[in-house]
Amino acid sequence: MARFLGIDIGSVNTKVVITADEELAFFHLIPSGANYRTASQKAIDEVLKKAGLALGDITAMVATGCGAAGAEFIGQQTSDISCCARGVHRSFPGVRTVIDIGGQASKVLRVNNEGRATNFMVSERCAAGSGRFMQIIARVLQIDIKDAGALSLKSENPIIYTTSCAVFGESEAISRVAEGTPKEDILAGVQNAIAVKISNLIDRVGLEEECAMVGGGALDVGLVKRTMDRLGIPLRVPEQPQLMAAYGAALVARENGPS
Amino acid sequence: MFCAGIDIGSTMTKAVVMGDELVAQVIGPTGAEHRHLANKVMEEALKRAGIPFDDVACIIATGYGRINVPFADKQITEITCHARGVAYLFPTVKTIIDIGGQDAKGIKIAGGRVVNFVMNDKCAAGTGRFLEVIAEALGLKLNEIGELSVRAASKAKISNTCTIFAEQEVVSRIAEGIPIEDILAGLHEAIASRVFRMAEKIKIERDMVLTGGVAKNIGMVKAFEDLLGYPPLIPEEPLLTGAIGAALLGCELVKKARDKGEAFERGERRLEAAKFFQ
Repeated sequence: MARFLGIDIGSVNTKVVITADEELAFFHLIPSGANYRTASQKAIDEVLKKAGLALGDITAMVATGCGAAGAEFIGQQTSDISCCARGVHRSFPGVRTVIDIGGQASKVLRVNNEGRATNFMVSERCAAGSGRFMQIIARVLQIDIKDAGALSLKSENPIIYTTSCAVFGESEAISRVAEGTPKEDILAGVQNAIAVKISNLIDRVGLEEECAMVGGGALDVGLVKRTMDRLGIPLRVPEQPQLMAAYGAALVARENGPS
Repeated sequence: MFCAGIDIGSTMTKAVVMGDELVAQVIGPTGAEHRHLANKVMEEALKRAGIPFDDVACIIATGYGRINVPFADKQITEITCHARGVAYLFPTVKTIIDIGGQDAKGIKIAGGRVVNFVMNDKCAAGTGRFLEVIAEALGLKLNEIGELSVRAASKAKISNTCTIFAEQEVVSRIAEGIPIEDILAGLHEAIASRVFRMAEKIKIERDMVLTGGVAKNIGMVKAFEDLLGYPPLIPEEPLLTGAIGAALLGCELVKKARDKGEAFERGERRLEAAKFFQ
């Protein structure tokens, strides 16, 4: 059986996927660290080990993500927008709008019925719209980012940040902690702030249902809920939202064939 | 007659006592406990001036923390106070660029009055906070980074505007082996040009003065000089212009009342901590 590999070298994590019959069969995720090349080699070694395969068993590979240029040994590169569109389309063929919340950027893309991105908008100049804002606040609150989503769902009075800057937001969270504001309210406030930024991006590309949320940010159940509340529509979240671009890259590798 | 001004900024609290000239000045941290130290700073200024609290004709509070100061007679915005303070120190100034711990402002003045202004308090980039974050990331003191930046052989290009992303970029540049001086020169240039572009919206006209804590940073002064093509004026103590302006505006209020043959109406004043989140 032909096997295809997709690797998404992101600003925070490197994700690698091996597909079999277009299904996501194996994956591995590691921090990208300072050297994208080292990270991608390590991630590929690990996923091959999990799959019990050698590099020679892979028919074709595609790299994507902001670090793809640093992994030129992979050969083929495709934009993360195309890969994300392809991965989401394969998971949810009816989805036409995708919200991708990454560690350092947020994107909204429109996808057609063939899984191609027709329009997109990226916010990458300001940390306040990305997963980074949530990480900063979770660190202030001394809670694991993995637990932040579930905790935030308990919030009844999300705080309203007076600022849209992650640096000032961090100071504001520190003051609120000192005042005794519950952690869940501080977290829910961040999610609302990010949801506003997402909604602004969506306004610029247009919203067509169905809508999905992917990227590491989609692992935050609180962010998903508050974005749904803000947009007033349901959001589909794949089982492994942070792997969509890597999965899409493997699907693109299959389309392209060996280089 | 003695009047006092207190400028409660996001980072520092500044108090002055003025008679015919500056009698006393104190600068203290605003503190994490939200302006609870403002009364201490005022107390110290009065002590240094040797003037009892009740003998002060008027106290004006200004700055980000000016509301709910129980010892002030009146609040006046920092824009107005900076303009008044600068006009007193430098009568020829037409443009003020004030960069504080958490905001940056451009103010155009004519005859000591504000004619136009622009400000950024929405984004940490272009404020003193940016420099604080970078200094901390580099393990340097805030007062060291400006000095280091002017020793740079060349300027490293910093492509991120966002403070958080720039901090990360700095760390990777160091990993690449770029000298810290060059990185700092690039950062100072980036921040100065961000504020410069904002202030250009109201047209920077000479004479121009740089105030606020960031004016103490030689690297920023140098970066502004490069952008302007001439050196900006710098007050002897760049942090005090707002407080000086506040005290002067207080004196004017009292004089105006006296000229009309009225007593200046003072509120009930108590030298107590400023209350914030009530």
